[in-house]
Amino acid sequence: MKIVPSLVLLSVALFAVSCAEKTDTTVDPNVTTRGSIEVTARLEEIRGDLIDDPMYDYAHVMKYRVTQVHRGKVDKDVIYVGHYNPAEPRSSVADARVQEIGGNVKQFRVGDVHRMALEVPIDDHFMGGIINKYFGEVNDPIYWAIWTDKAAK
Amino acid sequence: MTMRQTSVALLACVVLVPVGRGAQEDRVTQLAREVGTKGWIVYAARGENGTWDLFLTRPDGSARRNITNTPEYEEGGPRFSPDGKQLLYRRFAKGTVIHHDLWGFQGNLMIAAPDGSNPVQIGGDRELPWASWSPDGKQIACLTQKGIQIVDLATKKTVRELPRKGIYQQLFWSPDGQWFCGVANAQIMWTVVRMHAQTGELNIVHEFQSCTPDWFPDSQHIIYPCRPAGQNGYGFTQLWMSDGDGKEARMIYGEDGCHIYGGALSPDGQYVLFTRCPDDGGGSEKSGAPICVMRMADAPAIAGPSLELRKVHPEAKEAVVLQLVEGWEPYWTYAEIGVEK
Repeated sequence: MKIVPSLVLLSVALFAVSCAEKTDTTVDPNVTTRGSIEVTARLEEIRGDLIDDPMYDYAHVMKYRVTQVHRGKVDKDVIYVGHYNPAEPRSSVADARVQEIGGNVKQFRVGDVHRMALEVPIDDHFMGGIINKYFGEVNDPIYWAIWTDKAAK
Repeated sequence: MTMRQTSVALLACVVLVPVGRGAQEDRVTQLAREVGTKGWIVYAARGENGTWDLFLTRPDGSARRNITNTPEYEEGGPRFSPDGKQLLYRRFAKGTVIHHDLWGFQGNLMIAAPDGSNPVQIGGDRELPWASWSPDGKQIACLTQKGIQIVDLATKKTVRELPRKGIYQQLFWSPDGQWFCGVANAQIMWTVVRMHAQTGELNIVHEFQSCTPDWFPDSQHIIYPCRPAGQNGYGFTQLWMSDGDGKEARMIYGEDGCHIYGGALSPDGQYVLFTRCPDDGGGSEKSGAPICVMRMADAPAIAGPSLELRKVHPEAKEAVVLQLVEGWEPYWTYAEIGVEK
C-alpha cells in the first residue's frame, strides 16, 4: 500500500522537473532574436520613482547585475538599461514612438531576474526623454531594452 | 485696414479681460489695431471638413482664410521661410492623431507658396523629421536618429551632419544660422538646449519640464514653455524666455488653469504668439487651443486670478492679450503674401 503514495510523489517530482525544463527550453523567440545582445540579469536598483504620466513618454535607466550573456558582447557585470515607459506592462508598452518593444514583465521590481534583448547605446535606438539618475556618476554606455521577459531566480 | 475690417477683426477676437474693466478692454482694442496690418499668421486648425487644415489670418484675427482645405489629409506645423516666400509644414494621412511631441516625425514634409498654393511633397513618409529653415531658405535642418542633418533643398542631398548629442525633438535653426535649439536629455530630460551649428558644442538653456523652444529674431534669445516645480499638484505650463547661454531665464506669460504652448515671436520681436489650453500638451490631439497675441513690452504678464502664480511673480503685469481663434503652432511673417490685404 505504501508503493502508491511513493509513485504519486515520484510522478509529481518528475512532472515538476519536466515543467522546469520546459520553462528553460521554451524561451520566447523575441528575446533570442531581437537586438544584438541578450543577457539574463538581476535588477539591482531602480533610482527614482517610475512616472506614470500618459502625456509623456520616457525611458528610465535601471541597474542590473548580469548573470549570463547569451548573445553579443557585454564587458561588465553591472550594466545600466533603459526601459521605455516602465510603469506599463511590457506586453502593452509598444506605441507610436517605440513600436518594436515588448516582453512578459508586468512590473519592475528590484530583485527580479530578467532575460532581455538589448541594443547599445540607447541614443542609437531611442529618441525620447531619458530619466538617468546615474548621470554624472556612471560613464558606461546605457543599454536599450527591446524585449524583457521574466526569468527564474 | 478699413474701419469695417477693423470692426470685423474685433468681432473675430475675444477680449481676454474681466467684464467691466473698460480700460483693459481699450488696451486690447488698441493692441488689435496695432497689429492688424503687421503681416500674417499661419496656423493649423480644424477646417469645416473636420480635418486639420492650414489657415492664414491677419494678427488681429481678420481676413481668416483656409489655404489648404484638404478633406483627404491633415496638415500642421507650418513655418514661413525667413523671407516669407515659402511655407513648410507636415501633411499627415487623414485621421492621423497629431501627437504633441512626435508631430515632427509624423507624415510628410511639404513646401508650398506662402498662400498654400503649389504644395510639393519633399521626401517620403516620416522622412526629413523636424525640418526647419536655413536663413536663406535653401536648406533645411532635420533631426534624425543618426544626428542633425543639413539637407540642400535643390538636390535633396544631405550636405552636412552633426551628432545630435541627446536632442530628441523640436529642433529649430536660428535666424542667423549660427545655432540650433531643441529638447534634449542633458543632466535631466526635458531640457531646452542650444547647439552651435558649426562646432556642435552644446549648452543647457533651461532644465526641468521645458520644451518646444523657438528663436527670437535676434538669434540670441529663446522662447519656450516650462512647467516649473513647486506648483500645487501637476501645475501649469507657462511661457518663458532666456538668453542662449541660459543665464537670464524669465517668465513671459502665465495663467493658472491654462497650459501655454506655441510660443513664437513677430519678426521684429515686438509681439509674442502663444496658445492657452486647459489640457497639457497644446491640444494637437484634439482641436488646438485659442491663439493669443501679446506685446513683449507687457511681459511678464499674468492673466486670470492665478493667485499662486502672482505670489511667485509679484512684479508681473496684468496681461493684455488679444485672443484669436482655436489653432495650433502659429507662426508669423511680416511679408505680404499675395492674399487679401
